[in-house]
Amino acid sequence: MDEEKTMEIDKKSFWYSEWSFPIMVGLMAAGVFAGTHMYFVYNVGAFNEVAIVAMLKAGMDGGSYGAAAAFGASFLFARILEGSLVGILDLGGSILTGVGIGIPTILLSIGWKAPISNFWLSIVTGLVLGLIIGGIITLVRKYTINQSSATFGADVMMGAGNSSGRFLGPLIILSATSASIPIGIGSIIGAVIFYLWKKPIAGGAILGAMIFGAFFPVSLK
Amino acid sequence: MTILVILLKSILIGGLVGFAAGMGAARMFNAPTVQALGAFRTLGEMNACEGDPASHFSFGLGFFFNAWASTVGAGAFTQDVTHRVIPNWAASVLLLKDKKVENTVHNPKKMAIAGAIIGIIVVAFLNTTASAIPKSLQVTAVKVLVPAADLLINIVMPIIFWLAAIDAGKRSGLWATIFGGLSAMIMGNAVPGVVLGILIGKGVDELGWTRITRVMLGAVIALFILSGFFRGFDIQMIEGFKLQVPNFINNMHSIFNVK
Repeated sequence: MDEEKTMEIDKKSFWYSEWSFPIMVGLMAAGVFAGTHMYFVYNVGAFNEVAIVAMLKAGMDGGSYGAAAAFGASFLFARILEGSLVGILDLGGSILTGVGIGIPTILLSIGWKAPISNFWLSIVTGLVLGLIIGGIITLVRKYTINQSSATFGADVMMGAGNSSGRFLGPLIILSATSASIPIGIGSIIGAVIFYLWKKPIAGGAILGAMIFGAFFPVSLK
Repeated sequence: MTILVILLKSILIGGLVGFAAGMGAARMFNAPTVQALGAFRTLGEMNACEGDPASHFSFGLGFFFNAWASTVGAGAFTQDVTHRVIPNWAASVLLLKDKKVENTVHNPKKMAIAGAIIGIIVVAFLNTTASAIPKSLQVTAVKVLVPAADLLINIVMPIIFWLAAIDAGKRSGLWATIFGGLSAMIMGNAVPGVVLGILIGKGVDELGWTRITRVMLGAVIALFILSGFFRGFDIQMIEGFKLQVPNFINNMHSIFNVK
């Protein structure tokens, strides 16, 4: 990353300035929050991993929003701290999980549906949340920048985050094998094809299970 | 009709997300001078492609298929859409015209515009194709994915983060164990607690007990107390120990009870 230091960085221009950071986060959060609106209304379009969206789904299906709310909100909190200290705000933890899952589930758990069920309201809500988060980070940076070069274990969390994604493939196959025998076989075939194709096997396992499930359907209890 | 509404909404969402993802990714190459939005793994992976448009494109494509499978199956894009597909495809398009990464991939303005266009296409494609899939197909996906996801979130992820914290040193292991256990009880999932434990443990390893780390610890404790209170953990705990719940606690809860 050192060779770019020679490049002229105009910190006054919109594209590099500190003040444009909250705007950038606001736009991202607006889109992601609206993505959650899409999932809430059309069951498609949430910007997150299946595992995390499943927590939102559990709440939508009449369960408790508590797990998703606490999970998302704590992630947001941890990432805001980390982001202002290391210079890169982690998109996944802060916006996708925090704003996309944590905050909507908090709103839903207190019965406030409108910001999620109305498209335009969801864009505005996301925008405002993003501006606030970006603003907090810009403020924290003002007081802490250059005080430390600590990473706060970002590398540790990153490694753990990456390796936990790998577990999903085998877990899906295990779960498919207990759904029904055809679905299990389908997911194994799908996973094998994706593995030989050097792709993450989770995707193949899902597709294989779905294809076999279409021919040999099971009922949802 | 619904599909048209989905398409129009997707275009707007894709534009917003793509613009910010492209701009944030380009700014990563200038961090920490400039505050960026992205992820370390995105930075590493984009560097690994070494400014070759074909590598950027095929890298994004691999994750695009995965995202598509997940969207069709469960309606979830995966985080890869913003982390990998949009930044890498935006980079790939820009590099076709100009091979110098300094002028293209590291330029927030160009990456924002390219990202917005890619974002619109990707999000519109994923949402329209997935919503066209019949409901009966999604039943299988739900039946297979939800149990797998539950296991991943409640058992596998906490353990991986926990072991990583323990391997990262005595301090992060200690704090991760304390906060992980507490957050499993209070928040219903151990991961947030373990992450906060790593944050504090490694922060103290690297900085010592400075004002920053002390403020962080205070904030984390406040977070636990507040979420414990609002989820009624205090009352459950007192009852769990077979004690009488003091009146003032019940009174405090009745003030905030929204139901």
